[in-house]
Amino acid sequence: MRRMNQRPSYTPPKWVDRLIIRVCASHLQEEILGDLYERYQFSVERLGERRAKRRYFREALAYMRPAFLHKSAKTTTPHPITMIRHYFLTAFRNTVRNKAFSTINVLGLALGMTCFLLISLWVADERSIDNFHENNASLYTLYHTTESNGNIFGAYGIPDWYSDRIEVDDPVLANELKEVFPEIEFATTYATSYELPWGYACTFQYGDKQYKIKGSTTGEDFFKMFSYPLVAGNAATALNEINSIAISEKMAGLFFNSPAEAVGKVLRYQNFKDLVVKAVFKDIDRKSSMQFDYLISWKNNIQHDILTSGHDNPTYVKLKKNTDPVAFAAKLKNFQNERMDYPENYRVNLGIQPFGDRYLTSNFVNGEPAEGRIEYVRIFSGVAVFILIIACVNFMNLATAKSLKRAREVGVRKVVGSSRGYLVGQFLGESLLLSFVALICSLIFISLLLPVFNNFSGKQMSLPLGDAGYLFFLIGLTITAGVVSGSYPAVYLSSLRPVRVLKGLMRFGKSALWFRKGLAVFQFSLSILLLIATLVVSRQTDFVKNKHLGYNKENIIYLRIEGDLNQKYGVLKERLLTMPGIAMVDRSSEAPHNMGFEMSAPFTWEGQQEGQAVSFKPTSVGFDFVKMMELELVAGRSFSRDFATDTSAFMVNETALRQMGLENPIGKRISAWDKQGHIIGVLKDYHISSLHEEIKPLIVDIKENLSFGVIMIKTQPGKTKEALKSLELANSEVNPDFPLAYEFLDQEYAQMYESEAIVSKISNVFAVLAILISCLGLLGLAMFSAEQRTKEIGIRKVLGASVKSIVAIFSKEFIELVLVSFIIAAPISWYLMNNWLQGFAYSIPLTWWIFALTGACALLVALLTVSFQTMRAALRNPVKSLRAE
Amino acid sequence: MRRSDLGEFEEIVLLSVAVLSPAAYSVAIAEELESETGKNITTGAVHAALQRLEKKGFVTSEMGEATAARGGRRKRLFNVTVAGSKILHEVKSVRDNLWGRVSPQGLPEINLN
Repeated sequence: MRRMNQRPSYTPPKWVDRLIIRVCASHLQEEILGDLYERYQFSVERLGERRAKRRYFREALAYMRPAFLHKSAKTTTPHPITMIRHYFLTAFRNTVRNKAFSTINVLGLALGMTCFLLISLWVADERSIDNFHENNASLYTLYHTTESNGNIFGAYGIPDWYSDRIEVDDPVLANELKEVFPEIEFATTYATSYELPWGYACTFQYGDKQYKIKGSTTGEDFFKMFSYPLVAGNAATALNEINSIAISEKMAGLFFNSPAEAVGKVLRYQNFKDLVVKAVFKDIDRKSSMQFDYLISWKNNIQHDILTSGHDNPTYVKLKKNTDPVAFAAKLKNFQNERMDYPENYRVNLGIQPFGDRYLTSNFVNGEPAEGRIEYVRIFSGVAVFILIIACVNFMNLATAKSLKRAREVGVRKVVGSSRGYLVGQFLGESLLLSFVALICSLIFISLLLPVFNNFSGKQMSLPLGDAGYLFFLIGLTITAGVVSGSYPAVYLSSLRPVRVLKGLMRFGKSALWFRKGLAVFQFSLSILLLIATLVVSRQTDFVKNKHLGYNKENIIYLRIEGDLNQKYGVLKERLLTMPGIAMVDRSSEAPHNMGFEMSAPFTWEGQQEGQAVSFKPTSVGFDFVKMMELELVAGRSFSRDFATDTSAFMVNETALRQMGLENPIGKRISAWDKQGHIIGVLKDYHISSLHEEIKPLIVDIKENLSFGVIMIKTQPGKTKEALKSLELANSEVNPDFPLAYEFLDQEYAQMYESEAIVSKISNVFAVLAILISCLGLLGLAMFSAEQRTKEIGIRKVLGASVKSIVAIFSKEFIELVLVSFIIAAPISWYLMNNWLQGFAYSIPLTWWIFALTGACALLVALLTVSFQTMRAALRNPVKSLRAE
Repeated sequence: MRRSDLGEFEEIVLLSVAVLSPAAYSVAIAEELESETGKNITTGAVHAALQRLEKKGFVTSEMGEATAARGGRRKRLFNVTVAGSKILHEVKSVRDNLWGRVSPQGLPEINLN
């Protein structure tokens, strides 16, 4: 050429270039742009820059001809099946080549899925309880919201529907409701007979067969409203007469040869009443919160004291089809207020709650049912999602970290002509594949763990793999997990520039590094949060189980007073005290660990102010009660047989004293119902119900002839077997018509915290799992980091660094991560745990060392994981690491 | 000799390739033609013509080196094939024959020097 090559280069207008790039065929672009560029240099020299630029544009226009345009159809679309096969092969080879990494990845995701699925099974089970009734949509539970002098509280048992005998809800309420409201099709009250505080299993006899069975009392509409299938008899007549009883298949099997044979037979109830079997129903499913083996008609209450466990008994109604529940509720609201003559500032408003909701939401807040087990359902759902997120984040982090290894592959693919879309598809496909493998693994895990989990939670869950809906859910879950986890690595990898990659200039940008660190911190924060929560829940549960209640609950057995036990109490006591294993015998009107009875009206005392009322929990005991329970006195003396007047003596506890506002209580007059007496002693406060409640005022007197209550037997330590034998013997002598049924006080007490115990166990397991998953993630990251920096390690070693110092340097990075996670997690968990502990009147303090311990644990675990990896890398021969290129 | 065999522009482009061989590429040809004809020749037109010639088989091409003058991009170099040479000669002989049969008074040459 005539021109020389050493010329200053002029840059042509970029926008024209961009136009060419958009419009013209890719394989021609290099020549076209080159030609234009070269021309431009001449033009600038000849014409000056401005005119050269105009010329440039015109030259460029010359290229806008059909011959040069993009020919989209020209790009060869590879055959889809071949490509898919190819992708599978690549994915497979990749996975196999990095066995350790892939295993960690898949395992982490599988663990996360397992947790999620297990918890979702539990949640589904909880939600399905009581929801199987055919009439579910029109079944409601009644409740009342009472406003009294500005105080609001609510409960299920509608008050003030007394019979003349005891404050128990009558069939009167149900019948009255049906008469007044045409919208109500059926109504019935339901009361169990076997639960605390006053319930126990009742004795039935047929011929010479005698059994204690748990059941309930209800109205005649029961089988018409609820779906409990009958094996014999029919729903309309099952409970329509005063002596009707409906029994379960199991109960029928105890006394008779078949359910059909049972109908019409007579069972003797509690040795004083005969009941006729009118129907036999199928054993009650686990899915029903109402559990019973027999049902007695409520009409009995008019004649006899039918046993009910407590007096908060719900009334259920079924509304007619197409009734608007809201309108009905508005009508119902003042039902009680209109019939009763309540004073000013006292209103009892009625409301309805959908029946299916009762199991999960039965705690009253501000008079409305708002809380209950639903809290646990929500918490566990949150935990499940958390854990799944941790697992996905893990996956994402590991895959991105590993991507450096595959950068070359990406470069080559791009050079050969793969479009970005294909690359994204390839990597997403790989992560979906891993996700499915993880699903299979987790299904295997679940089938192994499910029996154990069922044990923990007291349920019988199983994987509904046959259900198409559930399969869809599983597949959806896997796809979501795969896509979410694989999205970032896929996008990141496909954006690599081939030139830089193939030249080996690949470095992770700052932003990518921060993103990964952020993910790791997020993961660890969640895990630490879970750990702290578990620790607190465990400690609170332990505290509650082991807290010194103010009395000794060890070695105490109690049995209900029934049959002849009351009249023959003295005989029984004397007999027992001579038998092996028995230390003390006494009685009480209520089981001391869960006193339900509370009243204020019947009590008056010397020094009582006008209008002052204190709500007492009253109990009547025997002379040895205080000694047996090892209760402490703060003033005065305990009951003693030496004083004849002690039969009209009373003791109160400290809280009672405070509320009554008495000073020098000893000797002051006090009366309970019709009994007048004096206060002879003050007991130190002890817990008379669960630790969810505060200690209430207690008043104790002596009554050894009540027809109800419990007999308590303190056994000699270590001699429980002998004591039980003695008890059996004594009972058969004194009360032969009733088989023996006893409870251990400490076991009964522990049962009050059953749900907390379950929560504690479950959260233990899941916290450990969360930390495990996070550690897996950390392990992967550490492995990767060590690999990336092999050269650095090699150089350091050559320059004289010891293995210890190398490990220290590398661990520092990860320690920082854990510390930051801890700083984030600690305040959040403090707030949440504080809230939860408010639900207990007596709780552990949230001490700082709980947090410190968790932080230290997390740190230790992270250290172990990381240093193990770095140590392996640091121990390698530096020659090997430096030679590799 | 049909019109589609070799267009007029294609003919002079092909001739330029022959002139500039072995360093014949779009920019060089365009510059050359501009100086010869005095008209504005765009590299786009030349490029298109070269493509057509290549499709017809009258030239072959190969990628050359990248130079700084082209901003680091390579250029495409062209060479005349045997078929190209043949058709050029054919065209030339047809013209020569016709020119030879024109009488001196038929096309007076006007010289505006």
